[in-house]
Amino acid sequence: MNPLVALAILLSLAGTLFMLPLLPALVELHRKSDARPLNVIQQHAGEIKHFADGFRSYIKELEPILHESFNSQAAVFGTLPDGTDYLVLGRGDEALRLPLKEQDGLCPMLIATSSNLVLPPDIKFSKDIYSGGEFIGGAKNQYRAILGEKEVHLSSKSCVLRWVHAVGDFQADSDCELYGRISSDRHIRLRSGCNFRRLNAPKIEIGAEDKDFSALAASHNPLVQASTRRLLLDGDFNIPSGEVFSGNLVVRGVLHIGAKARVQGSVKGDKGVVLEDSVAVEGSLMSATRMRIGTNCDIHGPVIAERDIVIERGTHCGSHDQPTTVSAPSIAVQEGVVVFGTLWAREHGQVAEHS
Amino acid sequence: MIYVLYVIISFICIYTARHYWFTLNRLFAFQRHPYIDIDTADWPPVTILVAAHNEEKVVANILGALMTVKYPADKMLVVPVNDRSTDRTREIIDEFVGRFPGRIQPFHRVTGKGGKAAALKDAMEHVDTEVILIFDADYIPGAGLIKQLTAPFFDPEVGGVMGRVVPMNCGTNLLTRLLDLERSGGYQVDQQARMNLRLVPQHGGTVAGVRLSALREIGGWNDNSLTEDTDLTYRLLLNGWKTVYQNRSECYEEVPETWAVRIKQIMRWAKGHNQAMVTYGLRLLLGKHRASLRERIDGTLLLGVYIMAPVTLLGWALALAVFYEGIAPLHGVIALLSLTAYAAIGNLAAFFEIAAAVRLDGNRRRVCLLPFLILGFTVSIFSVSRAAFSQVKDALTGAEFHWDKTERFRKAAS
Repeated sequence: MNPLVALAILLSLAGTLFMLPLLPALVELHRKSDARPLNVIQQHAGEIKHFADGFRSYIKELEPILHESFNSQAAVFGTLPDGTDYLVLGRGDEALRLPLKEQDGLCPMLIATSSNLVLPPDIKFSKDIYSGGEFIGGAKNQYRAILGEKEVHLSSKSCVLRWVHAVGDFQADSDCELYGRISSDRHIRLRSGCNFRRLNAPKIEIGAEDKDFSALAASHNPLVQASTRRLLLDGDFNIPSGEVFSGNLVVRGVLHIGAKARVQGSVKGDKGVVLEDSVAVEGSLMSATRMRIGTNCDIHGPVIAERDIVIERGTHCGSHDQPTTVSAPSIAVQEGVVVFGTLWAREHGQVAEHS
Repeated sequence: MIYVLYVIISFICIYTARHYWFTLNRLFAFQRHPYIDIDTADWPPVTILVAAHNEEKVVANILGALMTVKYPADKMLVVPVNDRSTDRTREIIDEFVGRFPGRIQPFHRVTGKGGKAAALKDAMEHVDTEVILIFDADYIPGAGLIKQLTAPFFDPEVGGVMGRVVPMNCGTNLLTRLLDLERSGGYQVDQQARMNLRLVPQHGGTVAGVRLSALREIGGWNDNSLTEDTDLTYRLLLNGWKTVYQNRSECYEEVPETWAVRIKQIMRWAKGHNQAMVTYGLRLLLGKHRASLRERIDGTLLLGVYIMAPVTLLGWALALAVFYEGIAPLHGVIALLSLTAYAAIGNLAAFFEIAAAVRLDGNRRRVCLLPFLILGFTVSIFSVSRAAFSQVKDALTGAEFHWDKTERFRKAAS
């Protein structure tokens, strides 16, 4: 073979091999099939009521039927343009006598009413529910989502898969499973044995209320106040019982705060935080691992642990005027705990028994 | 010569292993987002500094976006730092001041030292809030971003916060698409893995925040630094403050659309980074301070990322020299094989990282562009090496660094 031809073939082969991986690249460069910017959430900001607001807009087209049904006190069956079957009730207690349950205890219809809504027990509601008045759900029900314009009350052993928003109070009786977002514009109460993920309300109470909350005498914004001093310590550190610590404190080991001590600032323990009873923290409370908060403590700022938090009875986080966030992958709260704002367990939250 | 080559190969292997470690961590390990759930709080007052030097094309976009964010209006003050602009920047800012009385307090700087750090340093006279957020003028923050960037400051250990930068003009041409891939790898994998592993997430100087008391403790902005963000990262670290990265605090930016602008940008970054390496490298690794052992090692490796470009070039040259020298044929073959292996495995580590980032972002077909990254890497390796050589030359001749502003490509807002 002519050496020049051989060289040309060799170069062509080498060039082809080199170009092969570039072919899909050239096609994508030309077609721009995946060239849009990453979809960044610009507007809704992860707000807890995002889905509830979306559902309220979604059922706007049912408004005339809701009106008509309310006036005639009759039930109306129908199908929305997206193919979703619905049942609009003129009287909310009508649901107790209608055959809502189909195979396997499933109710596959969106249910809406302008009045109070009372649902029978032992039903799985696979579509969202709208109640223009008070909502009372029967025991052992499973819900996808509920929007209640007044109070929402779930009976024991109920389960919520996605979200609930109550304009009024929200209450879950014992042993409920609340997987998604639970929010109220006023108040949330969870009874014993409930499991939860994300709760948000001006006031969240666990169990029965057993005392009035009295705010800390001096309430300041933790970040403004904390700017005065920061103490950074290696190893473990103990704030003795009854002592007052002023400023921000970062401990690279375990931070232990004795009973009735008061921290005028924010604190963090890299290897754990333990608060004994009746401790007051005016700023935030942070742990890079675990945290245990004793009984009757008052924490003003955010409470964050990267592994788990145990909050014992009588402890209050935040206040009416200064709501806050309590967050960790795993949270156990005893009855008598009050959180003003958000209680968010990424993996598992539970109402625990008194130890 | 052969031993120098072995040292270089060892460094390359370390960086390769680092890439794999970060990527595997990001794919399979626990992801740390400790502050992202703070959605309810008694939000503190914040000052938002918007660095603007001849930004008439973009400054209206960011000011408009900041006026619509979900943060208590009475606790948020926007300070556009108009640094000696000669275009319509001042006029546009003043229009916004009129439209939003009390919410924007402009700082018009007409003289003084050039550069962002110098401008921010002067603007600090107007700042008295504990939390300071910083944006470049070409960024467009979303509604929840200010709360997200402020939330980590509830942690008293946090001195700096960095959010994620997302190119908004990524579909423009090959360069912007490659930069989109690089940014994705850099933030989605590199920065988040450092956050997960409690290493040293880097402060990027924009979509970022700093605590006023921490800034004062470390001596304020360093206007002699070419990259004030890298300088800030290391001074915070040496003084026991943490910089944290928030991967879900995303903000759109504009990336360079021409190679000339990109080369200038990366050369400036390289020079600033190398400057920080010389200033803080030894002190970080061996000095007496509060950083942990893992922060010391990772911080040192992070300081060395740009100097690795000329080091790799030197490695290639040495491998060839050793091979053709023939005095130690066995060593020569090993050297060549090592570098060849690096070409296969080392580069693959970077490709693996970017492909993983694209996957984590939920994108699909843009991963086809990966082979073109060779082009981006080649341009970068020579540009960064050139920057390093010119930096050495400048140091020897006493020449001063000239600040190059990154050109904007967006059409001016009407």
